[in-house]
Amino acid sequence: MMNGVLTRNGREWSLLAACIVAIIVFSVASPYFATSGNAATLLRNSVELLLVGLGMTLLLAMGGIDVSVGIVMGLAAIGVGRALGADLPVGVTALAGPVIGAGLGLVTAAVVVLGRVPAIVGTLGLLGVYRTAIFVLLGGQWLSGLPTGLTDVLAATFLGIPVAAFLIALAYLAVWLALRRTPYGLHLLAIGNSEEKARLSGIPVVRVRFATFIVSGALTGLAATFYVANYRNVEMTIGTTLALDAIAAVVLGGTSILGGKCSLLGTVLGVLLLRILQNGLLLVGVPSLWQPVLTGGLLIGVLMLEVAAGRLSFPQTGWVRK
Amino acid sequence: MTAPFLAARGIAKRFGALTALSGVDLDINAGEVLALLGDNGAGKSTFIKILAGAHAQSSGELLVEGAPVSFASPKDAASSGIATIFQELALSENLSIAENVFLGRELKRSVLGIPFLKRGEMRKRVDALLTELDAHISDPEAPVGSLSGGQRQAVAICRALNLNAKLVIMDEPTAALAVAETRKVLSLTRRLAERGCAVVLISHNISDVFEVADRMVVFRRGRKVAERLRADTNPEEIVSLITGAHPDVRALERTN
Ligand SMILES: Nc1ncnc2c1ncn2[C@@H]1O[C@H](COP(=O)(O)OP(=O)(O)OP(=O)(O)O)[C@@H](O)[C@H]1O
Ligand SMILES: [Mg+2]
Repeated sequence: MMNGVLTRNGREWSLLAACIVAIIVFSVASPYFATSGNAATLLRNSVELLLVGLGMTLLLAMGGIDVSVGIVMGLAAIGVGRALGADLPVGVTALAGPVIGAGLGLVTAAVVVLGRVPAIVGTLGLLGVYRTAIFVLLGGQWLSGLPTGLTDVLAATFLGIPVAAFLIALAYLAVWLALRRTPYGLHLLAIGNSEEKARLSGIPVVRVRFATFIVSGALTGLAATFYVANYRNVEMTIGTTLALDAIAAVVLGGTSILGGKCSLLGTVLGVLLLRILQNGLLLVGVPSLWQPVLTGGLLIGVLMLEVAAGRLSFPQTGWVRK
Repeated sequence: MTAPFLAARGIAKRFGALTALSGVDLDINAGEVLALLGDNGAGKSTFIKILAGAHAQSSGELLVEGAPVSFASPKDAASSGIATIFQELALSENLSIAENVFLGRELKRSVLGIPFLKRGEMRKRVDALLTELDAHISDPEAPVGSLSGGQRQAVAICRALNLNAKLVIMDEPTAALAVAETRKVLSLTRRLAERGCAVVLISHNISDVFEVADRMVVFRRGRKVAERLRADTNPEEIVSLITGAHPDVRALERTN
């Protein structure tokens, strides 16, 4: 076994149980919850978060973080939207997302790794810069009524399963292999444990951190491709709560906010639980305005519980996130 | 006489306004155990971190087998055959023993250009090393964070041995060890030297040092103040060199 990566501390079982309880409660409370239409909506709404959460899992496990993922997805979505509007080939349009995302990941890495600015601050600064970039690029208007070219491809089914589901499964499998079967995984977890010790052990710390920010950016960009395919518009407020949702889902899934441990299965279950709660509460009449309260509350609650249980303690001095 | 494996020439290190080392000249020979002694803060760890590529010197030169080298990272020093057991061990507590022993230089096979870990082979090699060290570790898959101080020490030593290094540097390797484990480490340093390896040992324990070291070097306030062959000195003299009571040290410190 390797501590973590796929599973950790039975957290996954608790999450699975929580999902089941939530499904039962909402099925009783709302006649619409347990319909196939709603299940499809719920899964479709989980697509971006599954991908962004995968990147966030890597970042947190490495002792990093990115609070600009929402706006990065927005920028990539504009690229995808413009490509779609210009009738470029589907392959080019689809790839525009991950390519733009990877490019922005490179920028993030340059700021955080080369500039040696703590990730939480560096990505917060970038968030500000990108927010204006989105405004300027969109000219204050939505991209809307985009063609269905991408939608048709990603929603197409193969053996009864949507192509989108295959792509997401492939992304998780690739990351799992990288973490569990290649030196990269050991290096990432060693950096998450202690960057200085990793350096003393001869790990190419700068290269691993760059690669991880780029991969996370590419996954966020892929999420943008799915976003545009799903909704066929890009609005000014795109991705506002994405970073919060992703960090909450990943921490809920058992990945350590301090780095060094992660669970991919936990991330999947964390995303599903979050989306089930959001969807269910909406159906029983709680306005969507309350969703960030729920997400933020869950994030803080889980961390407070772990601290109280003695499983987590934050250093009292210095920057935690690197 | 052959050239030393490693020669340090005029090594100095400053941390901002603090001068941790200045003008250190030292030869390190193959087949020899060299002890570095000195008070807390004398600069021993700083010196070996420069040899290990963990710090860059502020001035001075390092020569490996006569050729000047400059280490940008611990990986560079490792490729020159220098393995270091740091005082703070530098193990990753969240990884297993085998993962730690091979960290940064994993065994892998390339499939479609992707480097896959050879976990089985690494595990076998680590089991052999642990047996050679006579270290009793019940579960080699356990995270290193769950091991005792002595067991961690053994893992760090395995890591150094696994490099097949030409120079093994140990910064207070026995500080956390019980009597029996200390004996094992000391006899290991001798065996390494007999195999032709150069060994640098930092220790505050004078009797341990006299048991294994061929040569002793004393640091004081960032300077090398004395160098003695074991045959030409005794524990009392070494202690007085460390504390500064020795006339040589007094003379040296008066001139500065
Ligand atoms: N990274 C650093 N930054 C600033 N000062 C440092 C750093 N590392 C060491 N020093 C300073 O350099 C001096 C020498 O420290 P060093 O750790 O080399 O001593 P030492 O001889 O190994 O002592 P000990 O026997 O306690 O291990 C000390 O004054 C220490 O505070
Ligand atoms: Mg020291």
